Amino acid sequence: MLKKIYELEKAALNIRLQLLKLCTMQTIHIGGDLSIADVMTALWQYQMKYDKDNPKSENRDRFVLSKGHASAVTSLNQAAIGCFEVDDVFKEYAADGGRFSMHSCNLVNPYVEVSTGSLGHGMPVACGIAAALKLKKNTINRVYTVMGDGEQEEGSVWEAAMNSVKYQLGNLVAIVDCNGFQADGAVSEISGIGNLAEKYQVFGWNVIEFDGNDMSKIKENFDNLPKADSDKPTVLICKTVKGKGVPFMENQAKWHAGKINEEQYLQSVKILEDNFYLKWGKNARED
Amino acid sequence: MQEKTEKVFVRNILGEYVSELGKEFDKLVVVNADLMGTSRNKSFAEKFSQRSFNVGIAEQNLVSFSAGLAYEGFIPLAFSMAPFLTMRACEQVRTDIAYNNANVKLIASYSGVSGGISGATHWAIEDCAIMTSMPGMTVIEPSDATQAKILLKQAVQKVGPVYFRTSVEAQQDIYGEKDAFEIGKAAIPIKGGDGAYICSGVTVQFAIEAALQIRREFNKKIRVVDMHTIKPIDRQAIIDAAKTGRIIVAQDHNIIGGLGFMVASILAEEKLAVNFKILGITDKFVPMAHAPYLYHQFGYDADGLKNSMIEFFKSNI
Repeated sequence: MLKKIYELEKAALNIRLQLLKLCTMQTIHIGGDLSIADVMTALWQYQMKYDKDNPKSENRDRFVLSKGHASAVTSLNQAAIGCFEVDDVFKEYAADGGRFSMHSCNLVNPYVEVSTGSLGHGMPVACGIAAALKLKKNTINRVYTVMGDGEQEEGSVWEAAMNSVKYQLGNLVAIVDCNGFQADGAVSEISGIGNLAEKYQVFGWNVIEFDGNDMSKIKENFDNLPKADSDKPTVLICKTVKGKGVPFMENQAKWHAGKINEEQYLQSVKILEDNFYLKWGKNARED
Repeated sequence: MQEKTEKVFVRNILGEYVSELGKEFDKLVVVNADLMGTSRNKSFAEKFSQRSFNVGIAEQNLVSFSAGLAYEGFIPLAFSMAPFLTMRACEQVRTDIAYNNANVKLIASYSGVSGGISGATHWAIEDCAIMTSMPGMTVIEPSDATQAKILLKQAVQKVGPVYFRTSVEAQQDIYGEKDAFEIGKAAIPIKGGDGAYICSGVTVQFAIEAALQIRREFNKKIRVVDMHTIKPIDRQAIIDAAKTGRIIVAQDHNIIGGLGFMVASILAEEKLAVNFKILGITDKFVPMAHAPYLYHQFGYDADGLKNSMIEFFKSNI
């Protein structure tokens, strides 16, 4: 289990490098994978109670990928904790008969809790799972669901937002990847979604808003989550940058999904590594 | 078959019965979307308050929330009116229940035009077509209260998604407590070799009435096949019915995509040539009216079923 900020940032760097390598082979939802890469790394490699050898354990934290197109960043994090080899993801992503593709599917991948892809499904489903855990008197485990900010335009999200408060699902943690972009452009231009934090607040949620690309903030907020047996659902509004870490992709709606060439790959790897070592030094090993 | 008695509302009987099932199956939970009263679930909610959920007027959430409960080992019965359950929340049923193989039982009332004077918004003349096309979905349409109870219990015991299609119209008792039913195996309330009605739901009682009249007036024995399980359909019962040479299929549903189309496809695959007619809603919306009037206008009440069969005999085929 990775504990130190340095270790988590290193792990997130590895995930980004793997995402970019995969992106040379296949079209992936690279923009939204990169924006949520830090949160997903912390979630899978630090925060969640999850035993890869027993993915159906009653005592696991549940994870529902509501923004199902972030399947690559999820699979690579699962590979990082040993669910499968990273090379398996490279070999089988979008391959006929493979376990990994544009969206997560539990017909072939047992580490996928719920098959997703269509937006606005994860949160209501997670809400049902959270209610089920309460009914089973499981007071320890949480249900995490990761959504996009554009996804907040789906009405079903708000149906579940009301319902989670009614059933006092303190074991539900919704994470919104606010990267500001959706398929057709900027979220602010396309929707009237406005101030998301205020919206969840008036719905009765425990709202925490922070920089979702800042690992120390991510860790701090995970560490301070209300207990699973508390009575208010929590939403983490994560301000992120679409395409985070790769300058030519950052804040570009067109990099919602795409493929890169070898030159773009090498250039991106260099920038990511340079920035990491600039911050931590070549031999840094401490917080 | 029962003597003709007063008609009963299947939802009243099922509502009470769900409370009994709640005692027997501790994993059974009931989920409503503000139609707890309409679905007659108040007694369950009183007895098992922890296991009763009401998500408000939010059918998408009704379905997805139920799916979440099912993933964790519960057996949710999600109640609503057929149009909202199958169309408002169609994609949730497809993705969260069918694709994810969730053990949810969708209990729909107001199927067909049984919603009568509530009008087309509250009818479901497309639900059977939609739900039968969902992979892995079992589709059941009981013809009376006794059968509904027996099949509901089997649906709860069966692992996997089930769509349970019921009518809000009062229905004649057809069967007695001694009658047995099995999901996937058609019932034959009336035997006969001169022709066959293949029906489900409310049309079964009409077929029985028509068959009895034809026997009295024309001395012809018409079989009534109660196809309470639309999917998986009882293929053999259709093959056997074809031996009578005359098949009329009737369902309170659009003719397109309903029971008739399923029977037709099997007859074609089995290379069985018979005199064949499908009765149901003729692919159009009509103004609101009482259900019996609509059944009559569309020709799938007892009169309509009888006349269609007599036509076959008149033309000597």
